[in-house]
Amino acid sequence: MDPKLKEVSQLFDRFKASFLRNDFDNCSNLLSQLKVLLTGFRSLPPLFADTPNAVHELTIARDIYEHAVVLSVKIEDQDAFERDFFQLKPYYTDACNRLPPSPQEYPILGLNLLRLLVQNRIAEFHTELELLSSAALENPCIKHAVELEQSFMEGAYNRVLSARQTVPHDTYVYFMDLLAKTVRDEIAGCSEKAYDYLSIKDAKQMLLFSSDQELLEYIKEEHPEWEIKNDSVFFQKAKESAPCKEIPSLQLINQTLSYARELERIV
Amino acid sequence: MSEDVEMKDQATPSHSLSSVPPSALQHLKEIASIIETGSYSKEVRRIARALRLTFALRRKLTAPVLSSFLDYVLPPASEPHTRLSSFLPNPKEGDREMEVDSSTSTIQTPAAKHLLPELEIYCYLLVLLFLIDQKRYDTAKACSSASIVRLKSLNRRTVNVIASRLYFYYSYSYELTGNLAEIRGNLLALHRIATLRHDELGQETLLNLLLHNYLHYNLYDQAEKLRSKAPRFEAHSNQQFCRYLFYLGKIRTIQLEYTDAKDLLLQAARKAPSAAQGFQIQCNKWAVIVRLLLGEIPERIIFMHRGMEKSLRPYFELTNAVRIGDLELFRNATEKFGTTFSRDRTHNLIVRLRHNVIRTGLRNISISYSRISLADVAKKLRLNSASPVADSESIVAKAIRDGAIDASLDHANGWMVSKGTGDIYSTNEPQLALNSRIAFCLNMYNEAVRALRFPPNKDKEKENAEKRRERHQQEQELAKHIAEEDDDDF
Repeated sequence: MDPKLKEVSQLFDRFKASFLRNDFDNCSNLLSQLKVLLTGFRSLPPLFADTPNAVHELTIARDIYEHAVVLSVKIEDQDAFERDFFQLKPYYTDACNRLPPSPQEYPILGLNLLRLLVQNRIAEFHTELELLSSAALENPCIKHAVELEQSFMEGAYNRVLSARQTVPHDTYVYFMDLLAKTVRDEIAGCSEKAYDYLSIKDAKQMLLFSSDQELLEYIKEEHPEWEIKNDSVFFQKAKESAPCKEIPSLQLINQTLSYARELERIV
Repeated sequence: MSEDVEMKDQATPSHSLSSVPPSALQHLKEIASIIETGSYSKEVRRIARALRLTFALRRKLTAPVLSSFLDYVLPPASEPHTRLSSFLPNPKEGDREMEVDSSTSTIQTPAAKHLLPELEIYCYLLVLLFLIDQKRYDTAKACSSASIVRLKSLNRRTVNVIASRLYFYYSYSYELTGNLAEIRGNLLALHRIATLRHDELGQETLLNLLLHNYLHYNLYDQAEKLRSKAPRFEAHSNQQFCRYLFYLGKIRTIQLEYTDAKDLLLQAARKAPSAAQGFQIQCNKWAVIVRLLLGEIPERIIFMHRGMEKSLRPYFELTNAVRIGDLELFRNATEKFGTTFSRDRTHNLIVRLRHNVIRTGLRNISISYSRISLADVAKKLRLNSASPVADSESIVAKAIRDGAIDASLDHANGWMVSKGTGDIYSTNEPQLALNSRIAFCLNMYNEAVRALRFPPNKDKEKENAEKRRERHQQEQELAKHIAEEDDDDF
């Protein structure tokens, strides 16, 4: 075996051992070293040189980046996730005809879709979705993210929340928890427009709080304009405080002047 | 044999032959002379005309005709002649003899066959067209690659017109063999060369080919990055501009920028030549979906254009489901035409439409009922979920928040209470509608003016020079008068 490759393999074994022990600080240090060592392999993207150990090198590199992505979820670092995912992506797209498929491919692609959804990068979510084959779209990990986005856009928030119980992979829990926070804010925004008032019991249930105290804290911090009286939350004040629709005079003036200018030019 | 051809060409045609319609070879020779003239006079317009004439001849191209034409245009045993002849199937001698005999001509063979680059590249184009029409795609691929290698070493304005067509068929031949990704690097290099040489027609064509290349593999992100960084210039070819609008419309659709996408796709469909029906169908398919995603319902007439009814049928049924707001009908349509939507690559967009179907259904319910239970809303929308009432409540709440319906919810009683429909004329809607229509008309007018061609203003310049001389004279006299008056004042 090539000495460089041997060194990477040994270091990667140490990384995996630390990973199993949940020693994430050590994992991060080892990962940095591994990434530096990987730059010495000419068979990796973007060169894809035909070296004697090309398949082995590509496989181990892909494995390292897959672990890096999962590590970034464990340490809750979304920026690292994005970096590592983009480094991993060429192994799924450009090197797919050189390597056997990875069992981690769909869980990681689904995880990335979930991240884009959490970060409200919906346009990028759909752009990524276009890259997936019809077979990939049938995979439970991808399907989970697609259905979540659909439910979220429709407003079926309870479906989004119940999806936390049916995550296809344990790494999804972190992003699902972040999504729950977003969903709570969405429900609050919809509630103040759709209801005149809600009983504290119903509001607590809707906004996913376990106690009245938590609900009151949330209202105090996020929505001080809501009024609490007679064991109910009244949204009327919030509606009244919404600014009245003004006549867009400046816009109208601009439009009229532009018509005059164009007419002058034509006639 | 080529000598016989030349002798025949030089002979004056007899009266007995004058009634015979000119052969394909004869036409090609005439086109060659147009290209030659265009090359010497550096008139790009002539080369473009030659290409138009060629495409009219395309169906008549045969191996013997092309072989004879190569003998006529290219010096025998020259490298281009040998290479191009190798791409052609060996013609039967008899066929070739007959073709040659019928090709009487008044055109003189180029006496000293010094090879014009325009004619050489034109020969590549002819052979490539023939190979593609004959479905010899692998040979076409080899021929197109050879032509591109040759093109890279040429930098002539008059070659650019032919080159832009060659780029297209180069990409097309690779697409037909399923190797489109292979040439991406080459196309990028060609685009860079075209940019450095200020070959705007080449840039336009290559940019479209690159966009097509990326979109073929659904690489929307890369396509948008390239498009946004590519140099801007006025459109030269209407066809290329239509393609550009279509590709940009597709990119905008995927990026959820539906308003822009709609304008681009409708503009592409409108500007497209009436003969390009396939292109118009594609534009209309995407435009229909974009309009549905915007919450608009396309007019029935769009689906009734002659020659488009069959292709747009799935989209008509889809539109019907969205218009009614029936999820069940929508599901049936997506299942029934699933393969069509997958083939058109619109399946993912149609998945997004479910949301709009629900919205339309809710709007219809809101207009029809002053008060309705959430259970009935779920039933009418046909929400087949685990907890339809809870789902319908949150869906209605979001629709109210987004302004899709004017209603309120009564959680305790489980009702949706609709508010009276307001007077739309008391809102900004009419003004916005008027403005968008006026903007559309003005834009069309401005584009029409920009597209006008004016005769060269040489005569005007002469007049201007004379007038200028007169004006100078008058000014001098006036200055003299003023000076004299000033003196008088003193």
